[in-house]
Amino acid sequence: MIQALMSGLDLMWTPLSLGLTVLGVVFGLIVGALPGLGPLMGIVLMLPVAITLPPVAAMGFLIAIAVGGSCGGSISAILLRIPGTPLAAATLLDGYPMAQNGRAADATGIAISASALGGLFGGIVLIFFSPLLASFASQFAPPEYTMLALTGLIAIAVVSEGSLLKGLIVGAMGLLIATIGTDEFSTGYRFTFGSYDMLNGFHIVAIVVGVFAISEMTMQVASGGLNDRPAVGAVRPSFRTFLLTLKHWVNLIRSSAIGAFFGALPGAGGTISSFAAYAAASAVAKPEEGYGKGAEGGVVATESANNATVGGSLVPSLALGVPGDASSAVLIGALLILGFFPGPQMFQQQPEIVGGVFLVYLFSNVALLFVGILATPVFVWVLRLKKSYLIPVVLLLCAIGTFALQASVFDLWVMLGFGLLGILLRLGNYPLAPLVIGAILGPLLENNLRRSLLISREGFWIFLDRPVAATLVAANVLLILGALWMGYRRRQLKKKMQEPNNTATRSA
Amino acid sequence: MAIQPTLRLAEWCTVALFVGLILLVFQQIATDMAAQGIASGGPYDNGAAYPQGVAIILGVLVLVQAGLLVAGRKVASETTSWGELVRPAALIALFALYLGMLGWLGYHIATPLMLAGVMLLCGLRRPVAIILPTLGVSFGLAWIFEAWLKIVLPGGIFHLNIAW
Repeated sequence: MIQALMSGLDLMWTPLSLGLTVLGVVFGLIVGALPGLGPLMGIVLMLPVAITLPPVAAMGFLIAIAVGGSCGGSISAILLRIPGTPLAAATLLDGYPMAQNGRAADATGIAISASALGGLFGGIVLIFFSPLLASFASQFAPPEYTMLALTGLIAIAVVSEGSLLKGLIVGAMGLLIATIGTDEFSTGYRFTFGSYDMLNGFHIVAIVVGVFAISEMTMQVASGGLNDRPAVGAVRPSFRTFLLTLKHWVNLIRSSAIGAFFGALPGAGGTISSFAAYAAASAVAKPEEGYGKGAEGGVVATESANNATVGGSLVPSLALGVPGDASSAVLIGALLILGFFPGPQMFQQQPEIVGGVFLVYLFSNVALLFVGILATPVFVWVLRLKKSYLIPVVLLLCAIGTFALQASVFDLWVMLGFGLLGILLRLGNYPLAPLVIGAILGPLLENNLRRSLLISREGFWIFLDRPVAATLVAANVLLILGALWMGYRRRQLKKKMQEPNNTATRSA
Repeated sequence: MAIQPTLRLAEWCTVALFVGLILLVFQQIATDMAAQGIASGGPYDNGAAYPQGVAIILGVLVLVQAGLLVAGRKVASETTSWGELVRPAALIALFALYLGMLGWLGYHIATPLMLAGVMLLCGLRRPVAIILPTLGVSFGLAWIFEAWLKIVLPGGIFHLNIAW
């Protein structure tokens, strides 16, 4: 691994890679701070730009957006009591009271420092565990990959917002979308309707931009308040907050470990990990620490956890090619467009790219600490932007970026079409992430499924004959059963909670 | 009885979309793919088997979802008026118009018009507050993409391309 890091250093230590990583952190902090955008949207918007760049610079730019975006949400959570992203929802529990107590600068500084340190912890996990996982996965054959792709898809569907059923429906739809175009095996055309533009299927960027960005902007227009300007005072954190954060070092390590663990689990993610870390921190805290009333430890726990999640989520993404969440799915998509196939082969054949990606990830967290603390006043100023300016700019970025992929107006119509699909799915309370994961994992699943069936002499039994594949089959079944059981328990609990009210209403 | 745009209606619309998609898959397998000879044979030759399998799974899931909707398990009380949907619908229409005009008018004419239109739609009214950001954003992004990323934006019938 050391060799990979050394060879990656040449690719990472260039003005372009370093500059774009810093720029990515700035952009990430801005999109993270602006409610309604977030790291995923930032990555989606900059994906068309990134894929025109050299691989490590491109990945540095996108990963830095993920890193900055995971932290940016805390700024609006602390200052406005509106989490810029769901990742920062737990941060407002203590961050906002801290700001109310006149410690807004401390709270933002601690959030940024904890994010950077949590992110670095996630980076260490990434560097140590992904080669191990990749080496284990190098023994995988098509049956294992088939089941792994299914596990990724099911896990995302299970934990996505909305019901398990809806997540699976949308995931299956994503798999179908991935079949459009020329079939790799038979070279026949599927669902192309005689259109030359559809021979290669839909471009993943057009799908992602449409589903996430276009639908989000439309929803923002529908939600109103387009000319509201939030009242935010000036905030100027200092590097002293870094020392304040280090005072909570046990909390920091524990929360970062929780974040990295949840990140590595496909489907889990930053929101779950930050709440879990907060719960763990408050459970062991002394009453005088005042969790929920402006405790520094609360901010340290949530922010270190959600940024460590980014590193954790890159472990299965890079080592197996199975994304941990929607953001890492888009990052995988970027790698694929750049001509690299995440998985064990990449670790063996392009170690310099893997090493470069590791290093830009680490550097983006260091950059986050400096850029975040020094430029917070700028991000606070950005919070005052009206949506009536933001929406047209984002729409234009979507259009120009998608056009730039292949200089194709067809891609723009695909983007708009998927935008409409995204709106319909949002209105029906369907999660969007499984659609994108399905579209990205689709070819991996189909190719390996067909290869498995070619190898097999007994059809689908091949998935039960091999121990790892069979374990993954069992894991998939357990995932679904577990989600069904949890749903059932939740409904029972809801019913129970409603019962006294019903009785009271009847007796009244 | 007037139909309200409720969550329930949206759920039925999505179910209808999924059913349409499944029917389309089977129609294509029976016609286009069968004609190409990729709707039968082993895993290597049969390009239709996988989408068919996914469509069947999707069909089962959609059936369960439709069943839940009929049984009223997911009844939603949220309602909204059609009037509230006018602005988002106008945004989509405006954006579609922009995409349609992009090739003909070119980036440098169509984009400021689209940006100004969206700003007006979002409630901005002062001409200066619309024109200056519109021109700044339009030319700024054109500079990034054309001068820096070397991407030729549509010039339209007037062949408007800036030599940066």
